[in-house]
Amino acid sequence: MFDFIRKPFGYEPILTKEDLKKPKEKKGERPNNSKDVLLRIWRLVDEQRALLIAVLVLVAISSGLSILGPYLVGHIVDEYIVAGRFGGFGRMVVLLIAVYAGLSVAMYLQSFWMIGISQRAVYKMRTGLFSHFQQLPVKFFDRRQHGELMSRMTNDIENVSQTLNNSFIQVFSSVLTLVGTVAVMLSLSPLLTVLTMTIIPLMFAAVRWITKRTGRLYKAQQRAVGELNGMIEESISGQRIVKAFSQEDRVMDEFTEKSERLRRTGFWALTYAGFIPKVMNFLNNGAFAVVAGIGGILALTGDGLVTIGTIVIFTEYARQFTRPLNDLANQFNTVLSAIAGAERVFAIMDEKPERDDAKGHADTVLKGEVEFRNVAFGYGEGDYTVEEVSFRVRPGEAAAFVGATGAGKTTVMQLLARFYDANEGQILIDGIPITELPRKTLRSQTAFVLQDPFLFEASVMDNIRYGRLDATDEEVIEAAKEANAHDFIMKLEDGYETVLSADGGEISQGQKQLLSIARALVADPVLLLLDEATSSIDTVTEMKIQEALERLMEGRTSFIIAHRLNTVRKADLIFVMQDGRLAESGKQEELIGSGGLYDQMLKGAEL
Amino acid sequence: MRKSKTAIQSTENSPSAYPVGEEYGIIKKQLIRYAKDIWGETLKTVFSYAKTYKWPIAIALLLMFVELAVELIQPLVIGKIIDDGIIPGDTGTVWTWGAVMMGLALAAFLSGVTNSFFAAHAAHSFAFDLRAAMFRKIQSFTMSTFLRFPQSGLLTRMTSDITMTSNVLYMSLRIMLRAPLAAAGSLIMAFIVNPKLALFLMIGVPFLVIFLVFMVRKGVAMFGRVQRRLDRVNRVVQENLQAVRLVKAYLRGAYESSRFTKVAGALRSDTVSAVRLMELILPVLLFVMNVSLLAVLWFGAQEVRGGGAEVGEVVAIVNYALRMTGSFSMFSFIIVAYSRAKASAERMEEVLLADGGTEEAERGSGRQPIGDLRFENVSFTYEGADKGVLHDISFHVKPGEKLAIMGATGSGKSTLLNLIPRFFEPTSGRVLLDGRDIQEWPLKDLRDAIGYVPQQSMLFTGSIHENLGWGDSEAGLDELEEAARKAQIHDSVERFPDKYGTRVGQKGVNLSGGQKQRLSIARALVRHPSILILDDSTSALDVKTENALWKALEGERATMLVVTQKVGTAAGADRILLLDEGRVSGYGTHEELLEQSVLYRQIVESQSAHAGEVNGDV
Repeated sequence: MFDFIRKPFGYEPILTKEDLKKPKEKKGERPNNSKDVLLRIWRLVDEQRALLIAVLVLVAISSGLSILGPYLVGHIVDEYIVAGRFGGFGRMVVLLIAVYAGLSVAMYLQSFWMIGISQRAVYKMRTGLFSHFQQLPVKFFDRRQHGELMSRMTNDIENVSQTLNNSFIQVFSSVLTLVGTVAVMLSLSPLLTVLTMTIIPLMFAAVRWITKRTGRLYKAQQRAVGELNGMIEESISGQRIVKAFSQEDRVMDEFTEKSERLRRTGFWALTYAGFIPKVMNFLNNGAFAVVAGIGGILALTGDGLVTIGTIVIFTEYARQFTRPLNDLANQFNTVLSAIAGAERVFAIMDEKPERDDAKGHADTVLKGEVEFRNVAFGYGEGDYTVEEVSFRVRPGEAAAFVGATGAGKTTVMQLLARFYDANEGQILIDGIPITELPRKTLRSQTAFVLQDPFLFEASVMDNIRYGRLDATDEEVIEAAKEANAHDFIMKLEDGYETVLSADGGEISQGQKQLLSIARALVADPVLLLLDEATSSIDTVTEMKIQEALERLMEGRTSFIIAHRLNTVRKADLIFVMQDGRLAESGKQEELIGSGGLYDQMLKGAEL
Repeated sequence: MRKSKTAIQSTENSPSAYPVGEEYGIIKKQLIRYAKDIWGETLKTVFSYAKTYKWPIAIALLLMFVELAVELIQPLVIGKIIDDGIIPGDTGTVWTWGAVMMGLALAAFLSGVTNSFFAAHAAHSFAFDLRAAMFRKIQSFTMSTFLRFPQSGLLTRMTSDITMTSNVLYMSLRIMLRAPLAAAGSLIMAFIVNPKLALFLMIGVPFLVIFLVFMVRKGVAMFGRVQRRLDRVNRVVQENLQAVRLVKAYLRGAYESSRFTKVAGALRSDTVSAVRLMELILPVLLFVMNVSLLAVLWFGAQEVRGGGAEVGEVVAIVNYALRMTGSFSMFSFIIVAYSRAKASAERMEEVLLADGGTEEAERGSGRQPIGDLRFENVSFTYEGADKGVLHDISFHVKPGEKLAIMGATGSGKSTLLNLIPRFFEPTSGRVLLDGRDIQEWPLKDLRDAIGYVPQQSMLFTGSIHENLGWGDSEAGLDELEEAARKAQIHDSVERFPDKYGTRVGQKGVNLSGGQKQRLSIARALVRHPSILILDDSTSALDVKTENALWKALEGERATMLVVTQKVGTAAGADRILLLDEGRVSGYGTHEELLEQSVLYRQIVESQSAHAGEVNGDV
């Protein structure tokens, strides 16, 4: 019983005393303290300074008009209603209508432009983050959850957007009101004004106490949103596996845990933030008591400094005085939530982009000579995945990599495409160290058919054209024909215009591979990397596209990873990999019949 | 959509067909429909989740009223202090009433602070429950229902949309009701003072009602579009994360950025136009109200002259009118928040009320089938497609037998396998397990009996141990190791620095394609399935490892269905099912097919002579 009363107080706290004592950020670790973050957001807004000034002017105008309106109304009451005169009443009404119309127009225009300004800033933040994604090394993405990164793009930026939309106008108009009110108060009674001001330090302390907590809680909340998003994204992408293994309960448990974490952080952030207006209101009442009490005593002692009338009017103004302060405190808190979001966005933007120190060779046309010199590489800190790899492939040659899974074949390919940089040794292309070759030069002359074919949610035509954006429809269709994909494409609902869906059943894995090959055919590269490009394609179809592949390989340096002999057979050179090292290499003719590893493999295969 | 259609139809019918009296009835009905439309038929489902928190909500509202009451009483107390205390110079009264006032202030403060707890609790628990309900619903979708929603759309609904709705709940409990209450209170007071003059305050009301109805409807539609734009932003980001290597390999960073710029630009311009439209509300409200005020003044002056009203009455009504306008900025804020929430709630309802195609969450009986699998004239067409994928498939695999499935790419092999765990239901024909239609099997029993290894290996963020545990969460480490050994992955795992504790998945280490495949096989073996489904899941394995794997699997009691491209693998099966464009083109043993099937001979041909398999350490 009465559980519902105890529940709201039963949330496990998020912040411990130690948390609050800790200095805000560890110094030097990340320059992202709140001030910097705010400054960076400000810079995005400041780009549109002219509009911003226009908005400020409009805020000033509308503030002025909103004071003028009631003033004129008072005038009308005094002149025409109380005094009962009628001359000029009509003109006055027209004037007031003009004032009100002006007020509405000014109000509308300021929000009209402000939303433009803020959404532009948000847009710049979003596109900035996205293009930064494009510059980050593959390594960065290896250890991050997709959904978590997506959350920064949506939920975190949304936080900034909400704040920018409202806070700017609010803050400025609050400041205006505050200044105006204080001016009037000072003119009424400097003494009482000072008395009223005594609550400001208290308000300040209270707001600080609250925001110290909300600031951290908002950050925790955004992190929780990110983690939850990451978990949901993964479970949705892997829905088939969840179902196949009847793991709905398990997924649900994990979801509940992450969702609960979000609920807890959200609860505390919201609760603390909710204190602000209450505290302000309370202190306001305290201010009233002080003004009324001390003012009363002063009035009674009667040195003429304060009259009772002054107290009465003054208390009214004292009330008005705290309203903008309250708004400011609330806005300050909202800004903290924007900072929590923005900080996570900027954290990614501060990640170092892929180094591309190479200045020269921008227009170098590669011949396609590839040399590895004692290359070693590991994905993590620990062991190397490949070690002591040295080989040389001349322009136009086809090299096949064979070996057990996990032997490092794909890694060699990825180094060649410069997804990663070698830890030791050197990779040379046409005698130029790969690190001195701009990625653009290298990749624009390379086509890579990856192990897992990926298709975008776009038409078949566009998916193939991805290999070379200026390829004509005819060239795309020609490539599809060569890759033996044309027939099945024509059987799709809209042929080449069929839009493929993310997890649609309309296309099989093998067909995806055929499209990937067509994509590479369209690209017309100097270097061709085929990583298990035909593994899901049936052997009959593979035979049909063999000829196209051979033609594709002609005149280009090609690297092939494949398990099937008929693919490997065409290669000039064979590299046998074992546990990350090159165990055997040589020409096809040299190795066959040599009794070496490759020879044994061939014999094994012919069983 | 459906609603607006019926609305149009009824207005079309109305003018000639009904006499005037009924026309009034139709207009009334129409108005009720509009009102319902706005106040939320569609919100019912979503906000029914708030019902659980009716007590915290009630308490929060009560506390808000306490605060409001104190605020209203305060001026009276202040008046008392001034009139009875300060002016006559009675310190005793000042202290007494001062204490009362401080007491009241403290009460308001405590109510406010307590309200924070209850409101935050209600809002976040509501969001929590809603999230759980959505997630559970998504989990219960059949694959065909699931595929109807773009993944990115589901994600936005689970986060952004839920935030929108729970925000509205929170604000309702904190401030929202104040504005309408204050406005209504002022209006009532105005009527008490002088009904005739107060009526002038109402001249703008019909116009405002129409205006607001229009704005809310428009706002809901526009914010709905904004959320859909957010889906698209999400989608492009997701694609780019999944295809990071492809984008880099083809140097498409700039291209993708321009693609993203397009969707982000659309999001921006739709947001801007939605908000700009909604920002009209406040200026228009204010203007109409202010003009009404002028009308009060104008006619008030005349009334005063004609003796119909006192000067004081006019002044009072003017004051009330000013107070009403004061609450309008809050009012417009409410309308915007409400429109946003409604748009989001509608999107959530699409998921929560998605019809057809959910899977019953029944408990399994724990009965394990022996694995006798039979397809009887099964045909299958994907939802919404007009061409079938499978036509009239029949075959029979006895317990413990191994069936190899071969065929060209796109011939329907994977689709056929997808019917067994009931990801999809056959369009016609039956699939029988142990002689019983699989639709009659409890879904849990059916799936528990199946070890499914997909074509594209998918591991989840977590340790290898946890991933293998998906097969059977109760399995001990020795059982996991046993399965890993059979799947030929144990030795590799042992070589990882953290062994079975190594993290894999999106946040994990780089595994090779073959390692991922073997881990997914191990995951399936952990459950000791009656039926083992391998969808071309050994494509990245070298011959030696693969041979060892098949050997290890020989000991399994499971009925096996294996999609393979390799004749060698197929020849080791008890029977081979050869598919061609969704039809059975051959069914029998290796020898039988060699004799009967041209297609099979072609496949064999393609792999013999010049062909074969390499790779495999020695």
